[in-house]
Amino acid sequence: MPLNDLLSELGIMPLRAIAFQSLLLMVAIVLEAMVLRQQLRLGYRTSMQYAATLNLLATSLGWVAFLAIEAVLPLALRSQIISYVLFNRFYTNSWLDALPVVVVVVAIAAFFITYWIKLQGLLWLLQLLGQKPVDTTPEAIEDNRRQRYERARRAQVEEQRGNSPRALAVLQANALSFTAILVLLLVVNQTGVVGW
Amino acid sequence: MVRGLFSFLRQTFIELGNLLLPPRYFAWQTVIYLSLFSWLMSLLARLLETTAFTVGLLATISWICLALGVGWALEANKARLFGIPIAPWVSGAILCLFLFGSWGGRWLQPALVAWPLVSFAVIAVPTLVSWDFSFKNPPPGVRQQLALLFCLSLLFSSWFQFYFRIQSWVRAYPSLVADSVENSAFVYRIPGQTIALPAGVTHLTVAEDLLREQVDDKPWPSVERWLLNLEGQRQVIRQRVRSQMGRTTSLEDSLWQLDFQPLSNGDGYTLKLWAIWSGPAASPSGYYLEKTCLLMPVNRGGLVPENAPPGYSTTQWSSLTCSLETPRQAGHPRGAEVRG
Repeated sequence: MPLNDLLSELGIMPLRAIAFQSLLLMVAIVLEAMVLRQQLRLGYRTSMQYAATLNLLATSLGWVAFLAIEAVLPLALRSQIISYVLFNRFYTNSWLDALPVVVVVVAIAAFFITYWIKLQGLLWLLQLLGQKPVDTTPEAIEDNRRQRYERARRAQVEEQRGNSPRALAVLQANALSFTAILVLLLVVNQTGVVGW
Repeated sequence: MVRGLFSFLRQTFIELGNLLLPPRYFAWQTVIYLSLFSWLMSLLARLLETTAFTVGLLATISWICLALGVGWALEANKARLFGIPIAPWVSGAILCLFLFGSWGGRWLQPALVAWPLVSFAVIAVPTLVSWDFSFKNPPPGVRQQLALLFCLSLLFSSWFQFYFRIQSWVRAYPSLVADSVENSAFVYRIPGQTIALPAGVTHLTVAEDLLREQVDDKPWPSVERWLLNLEGQRQVIRQRVRSQMGRTTSLEDSLWQLDFQPLSNGDGYTLKLWAIWSGPAASPSGYYLEKTCLLMPVNRGGLVPENAPPGYSTTQWSSLTCSLETPRQAGHPRGAEVRG
């Protein structure tokens, strides 16, 4: 049967991960947009766009990091990851006793790295959106250079003053979304919704 | 009736003509024709045995024109899937087919992984680069859209890559497929697939052949002697199975452990052969495959001497019969204390 052949060819697909991640991303984006909107006094649409961009950036960079690191891990640890992904449990091998510590350390590291990526991402995004169209005449360039220099100086001063509410807002947003995701994961694992 | 048919045909021809002949030269049909023309020219060039560069250049132009033309056609006809324009994704798919299709081997993996990113490039390049190859500066709204789209396409690309990573796990540990992934929070197997047997079955078959060499069709006393040194025989069999399986080396071979235990059964023995999986498994206690063999002494007819004195007992020979089934059992055959 050709359809059956195709299905066997496709094999095991990460469909649940995709569905679940989409759900978690939506929750995280909505929550973070709320925080950014309150803390940074942004418009509704703008805060949603910022939150969506930052979360998608952090998530996709997280995937890239996971896929890169997974490839170079020792075999015993890799097979624990395989066991977790395929069977939702760890199995008995030399890493079993160390795993709770590893998981907690990785989770805390993930929180701070995500925070840093989101903060940097917000700075990049503001830079990307705040640029004025570049004039190409020589005087304009000269003018522009002086302007840019002054703007940079002012920005430096502003950065020192303006950075902290931004950093605080991103930290709060990140903490809120991580908490929500953790609660959701715990609830799902407790109630066994995963065995859909 | 005939008239109706005739007018229907005429209508069809007119519509076909409208579809095939563009109203202006600057239309998607032109680009598709360019692609066709370029492809025919590349065929011609190949027939005339020109340099590979010429053929390649013409084929490249053909592919790029095809991607452009199809994308343009879909965009012109406002093809939407759930409100999302599909034109850039189709163009990206055609470009990926072209870029990676000629690689051969496992070309699908890089093609699928690159697809979202190439599609993003298809969307981004026209808004960022103007016709004279100078950099355009789109308004902030568009830039925000592009940033969002880039992150999204990177996420899609990662999902594809995750899929291929799972496939490479399965290639390294084929027995994982034989287990149930019902509890997984990540993966789903569409029901109705034929599920392969775990590799432990092969281990058991090899072990059965080795056992047959050792204890089948041998004088019964030597079999009894063989059974006395059980631990030694286990080591030997394990080693020989490993060296036999070594030819098809796979990461999971070290996760299968072979074991057997004779249980007395009347005159002979029931040999239980076990292939114990010590890798990742769905059930917390793991599982093992069991093959049951019967090792029995048999009297050989015809070997009895003609003038056998009373009380003469013929040498008994051994016979080994194994069942084909290898039922799968949860847990460990020797209980929990051995595991770990």
